[in-house]
Amino acid sequence: MKIRTRLTLWYATILIVSLAIIGVGTYQEIAEQMEHRHLRHPIWEEAFDETSEMIFPVGLPAIFLGLLGGWWITRKALAPVTALTRAVESVNDGNLREQLQRSGNGDELDRLTEVFNDMKARLDGSFQRIREFTLHASHELKTPLTVIRGELETALREENFTPAQKERLVSQIDEIERLAKIVDGLTLLAKADAGQVKLKFEPVRLDDLVRENVADAKILAQPQNINVDLRGCDELTISGDRHRLRQLLLNLTDNAIKYNRPDGSVAISLERNNGFAELKIENTGAGLVPELQPRVFDRFFRGDSSHSNAVDGCGLGLSIAQWIALAHRGTIEFASEPNKQTIVTVRLPNS
Amino acid sequence: MRVLIVEDEKKTASFIRKALQSEGFAVDVCHRGDDALTAVTTTPFDGVVLDIMLPGRDGLSVLRQLRERNDHTPVLLLSARGEVNERVEGLNAGADDYLPKPFAIAELVARVRALGRRGAESKSPLLRVGDLTLDTMLHRAQRGGKFFDLTAREFRLLEFLMRSAGRICGRMSIIEKVWDYDFDPGTNLVDVYVKRLREKIDEGFEPKLLHTVRGAGYVLKE
Repeated sequence: MKIRTRLTLWYATILIVSLAIIGVGTYQEIAEQMEHRHLRHPIWEEAFDETSEMIFPVGLPAIFLGLLGGWWITRKALAPVTALTRAVESVNDGNLREQLQRSGNGDELDRLTEVFNDMKARLDGSFQRIREFTLHASHELKTPLTVIRGELETALREENFTPAQKERLVSQIDEIERLAKIVDGLTLLAKADAGQVKLKFEPVRLDDLVRENVADAKILAQPQNINVDLRGCDELTISGDRHRLRQLLLNLTDNAIKYNRPDGSVAISLERNNGFAELKIENTGAGLVPELQPRVFDRFFRGDSSHSNAVDGCGLGLSIAQWIALAHRGTIEFASEPNKQTIVTVRLPNS
Repeated sequence: MRVLIVEDEKKTASFIRKALQSEGFAVDVCHRGDDALTAVTTTPFDGVVLDIMLPGRDGLSVLRQLRERNDHTPVLLLSARGEVNERVEGLNAGADDYLPKPFAIAELVARVRALGRRGAESKSPLLRVGDLTLDTMLHRAQRGGKFFDLTAREFRLLEFLMRSAGRICGRMSIIEKVWDYDFDPGTNLVDVYVKRLREKIDEGFEPKLLHTVRGAGYVLKE
């Protein structure tokens, strides 16, 4: 039950009880006067009628007016609460810095807004610190990585190692490269979170990028004998950042190949749909059970941890793809029927 | 070729110096941005390897100052941040090349060597390595009288490797020059393409021309 309804009901009860008290009081007064005047036993019915005559014609409209007024007052008093609720509803990690409008009249709700703004500012500070931490951490990690890698390469060139020792060193360099990729991905996402990555928007022929990407995907897919098929490719020009869109396409097709089964297939299509460029990438991999699907764009999310080591990658590909789609004011969706079909759909506004 | 390394991290500076010296470069090292400006003014260098994060004066500002003075010494920027905007910013400020950390030493050496050759690069339409030839005008490649059927991308890859013949081409260079990606694709795209190219140009021929340098990249040489 809404506060307004509850207050109005309480108010109505109070009004009715007050009217009843007034009624009882008036009745007793009238009855007493009658007793005095007539010096005989009071005629209760008469007194009752007289009271009713006095109370109802005035009292009932008064109750009605009172209720109406009360309803209006609660409504007026609670309006800022409704406004505040709406404002709070729209808060997310992206607009924490925007302050809620204060009435400035120093009442309880103004105070509540102030407290809420303070809380937002503190939250914003925490988010800011997390972002800065990720940014600094990924930056700080690069110097030691550079040194380790450089020292290993120098050692490989200068010392006399047996082939087995050399192999071990080279494998360490491979791992450093992998770590460097993770750090790169983290840096990119941390910068994107902080709104520090500038996209260069220009008209881009999306169909050309898709065709180019399919040519690369076909070659990437050959070792596992996966068939890559371009189902349809409408001619489409959108406003976007060319490099980021190529990165999006490569990340998605690469995922469709990596998480596929041998001899599986990947189908790609680009269509114009309701003012959107709709890109679909289907694959025949193991997919994901429904409970895990909402988490697929989370950073470092790995569907089935038991086989995560079998697939090489930094675990940030889909998070980066999601960021690119959102940065183009588009959407990205993941739908999967385990072991049958997994579809990633990207919709980008078609200018 | 005389090269100046400007890098405040001593260990990094040290292995870059060693690597360049072993390749026959004369190398000077300084650890601060302001010192670098003085060094470049007093000594003529054929190339500068310039880190962005530096005490005294940051790399980008050193670079801008140099270009303002009309000093066109080729500069290779190093950055720990390795992020798109910075790369663009660096090239706009007048850098000739940009390499994100951590890098493969072989890649750095190849790029420093390319700095010296900047502008002098052969634009010849006919490229030759051993008995492998590539005609960029006719878009044809052949070895021992056999013509290869190459996709557009394979052709660009082969052209890039042939123009850099004898030098190690790092994965990052290949990604930048052949794919024009400004990001690390995080896939084995380059390796898969090189493997296919090798099957075409090396299988059934001797000597093998396309070699892998583990941990660094690829090189095309006799």
